[in-house]
Amino acid sequence: MSPITRTWVAFAAVGTGLIHVALVLGSPLPLGIALAVLGLAEFFWGVLTFARDAPPAPRIALAVAVVPLVALGLFTVVAVAGGFTIPSGFLLPLGLATLLEVAAAALLGRALRTSGPAPAPGVGRYLIALFAGAVVVGAITTPALAATTAGANAVPHGEFHFEQTDHGH
Amino acid sequence: MTSSPNRLVAVIFGAVYLLVGLLGFTATAGVGFFDPEGGLLLGIFEVNIFHNIAHLLIGAALLIAGLRNVRAAKTVNTVVGAAYLLLGLIGLFIVDSAANILAINAADNVLHFASAILLLAVGLGAERGTRRGTAAV
Repeated sequence: MSPITRTWVAFAAVGTGLIHVALVLGSPLPLGIALAVLGLAEFFWGVLTFARDAPPAPRIALAVAVVPLVALGLFTVVAVAGGFTIPSGFLLPLGLATLLEVAAAALLGRALRTSGPAPAPGVGRYLIALFAGAVVVGAITTPALAATTAGANAVPHGEFHFEQTDHGH
Repeated sequence: MTSSPNRLVAVIFGAVYLLVGLLGFTATAGVGFFDPEGGLLLGIFEVNIFHNIAHLLIGAALLIAGLRNVRAAKTVNTVVGAAYLLLGLIGLFIVDSAANILAINAADNVLHFASAILLLAVGLGAERGTRRGTAAV
């Protein structure tokens, strides 16, 4: 597997892991626990994937990557059928996380099907490709994190004023 | 040096952050040191004086490490990458608040996060053979 492909998969895993963890706040407890476990596993799997020569347990990872996609589909079906709305602070980040996950799974699946070691890329190509991957994942992950309930609730505008405004607290 | 991804990333990012730090001062006339409301560099990235100085220090550290050797570059890339990841995450929480002493905005957060994962990937993942046989890491 090319180190570029491997690192792109890793970036996507780190991004999706962080989003899943950020979705814990504001979720009902059983869902929160599932999201926390999934998110942390994805994050650390991502770090190991770029820090080592090969992604750990790639076939298990591929199976796990499909779970959020199925879950998102189920959520949407249940919500539409039941006539209730899922807050956009949950659905949008989950959708973006799932997008990253599907991209990672597609890259990983394709790499697993091709046998033999990939030729090592030149340093320039490696760095440019990594930079592009980092910017793409960053541009998806950061707004997704900001859109979660955790992101929105984390800046309680009423409580963070120190001495800048003169409301007599 | 050009055959080492770690040294190359450190030198390039170091030089760029030094430049960004210097250019930042053109956007912060009248902005306080820890002012949560900063000026916009290139019209996009919010900075204040503290933020500019941080860029200068980080840029210098990366550049010096990159010019030295692979091990120094790997170490500084990894440390700065981890720090940027933390900053990227904390930054999400302090945007628009008085705790925002670096005057971070959303564009800053994206750049910090992207820089973080790139530096970590290269620092931890590339040229790992240089760790073997060294006294301490």
